[in-house]
Amino acid sequence: MPLGKNPVKKRGNKLGFWFFKAFLKTFGLSVAYGLLYPVCLYYLIHDHASVSASMAYIKKRFKANNIFQRICCVYKLFINQGKNLIDRYYVISGQGEFDIEIYGYDRIKSLLDNSQKGIILLTAHVGNWQVTMTVLKRLGRTVYLLMAPEDNIAVKNTLDVDDEKGRVKIISSENFLSGVIEIINVINQGSLVSIMGDRGDGYDCKEVNFLGEKANFPYGVFSIAAAVQCPVVILLSAKTSTKKYFVDVSHVIYPRYSSKNKKHEEITVWVQEFARTLEDYTAKYPFQWFVFRDLWKRQN
Amino acid sequence: MQKTEAQQLAQIRKDLKEMLVRDLSLEDIKPEDIKDNEILFGNGLGLDSLDAVEIVVLLQRNYGLEVKDMEKGKEIFYSIDTLARYIQENRKNVS
Repeated sequence: MPLGKNPVKKRGNKLGFWFFKAFLKTFGLSVAYGLLYPVCLYYLIHDHASVSASMAYIKKRFKANNIFQRICCVYKLFINQGKNLIDRYYVISGQGEFDIEIYGYDRIKSLLDNSQKGIILLTAHVGNWQVTMTVLKRLGRTVYLLMAPEDNIAVKNTLDVDDEKGRVKIISSENFLSGVIEIINVINQGSLVSIMGDRGDGYDCKEVNFLGEKANFPYGVFSIAAAVQCPVVILLSAKTSTKKYFVDVSHVIYPRYSSKNKKHEEITVWVQEFARTLEDYTAKYPFQWFVFRDLWKRQN
Repeated sequence: MQKTEAQQLAQIRKDLKEMLVRDLSLEDIKPEDIKDNEILFGNGLGLDSLDAVEIVVLLQRNYGLEVKDMEKGKEIFYSIDTLARYIQENRKNVS
């Protein structure tokens, strides 16, 4: 499972984050959001890599739109991602909380109560992780996030999620076999492991139908779940108003091979199920999926 | 009669090869075709990430083996020989 290179330049620097933090503390959420409009316009004009990476998704999601409308969609996407970052800092810094509506909490609780093993939370670059964590902490289990080490110092210092004292820990995707060994160990210990399933980034992928065309999604999550025999819970969240989020953990997949010779075919079915769920999400919340990758590009 | 360390190591190598062929359903490969020093992933035996996940689980199940030092992971999973040596030194129980 080699890791690919992130084609999108990292946005944000120390001064920028300080500025937003100061505004947030002094004037509150709405004014801090207001700052995003000129800042995102700057990135829309100058950050061609990010615009181009977003355009792949926008073209598939809004097929009838002309080029001007699509650029407006990218702008909206950038602004929503900015709001997401501000909200994350808002929660981390203890300035306030959001109302959270959660679907499927009892189901996930029951899965954990009835098994020694943990579960895999298959998520995507949607909604807000910090908000989701406040819900998951109620489950009383350690949550591991599989992710590449943050190489943008400003982002790391402002939004670092690795909480040694708490119940959120990082498994580095740059470890041997992309952290598979650690993932298996912690699932066997009853922990939760959250893995992003919407960016290929050099991982082994399956080609499935997504927004009307064939797209590539990584499938490692399902091979781990089938081998360890744990459930995969699809975790999606979205911002529904300035102070409200919803978190959905109601969709559960139980990957089990029925035949040794059909593993790849069965995995493709599970990946397709995830892609379909994500497609439904983009129908409802088109500007809250921050994928910034061309999933439809043919892989070698 | 007690097996010598070298005999134990040879037995683990043999068991590992049989386990890989049987549990990973490797087509057109017999256990005796796998060389002790053949690279397992990529250009060698050609195992992929799907196989890697299953090997990790099989090692835990069959040998009670957990690789805790991730720095050593690449070394340990390099070939049948490196894997067998690690098992010999660290196994908790053999089924």
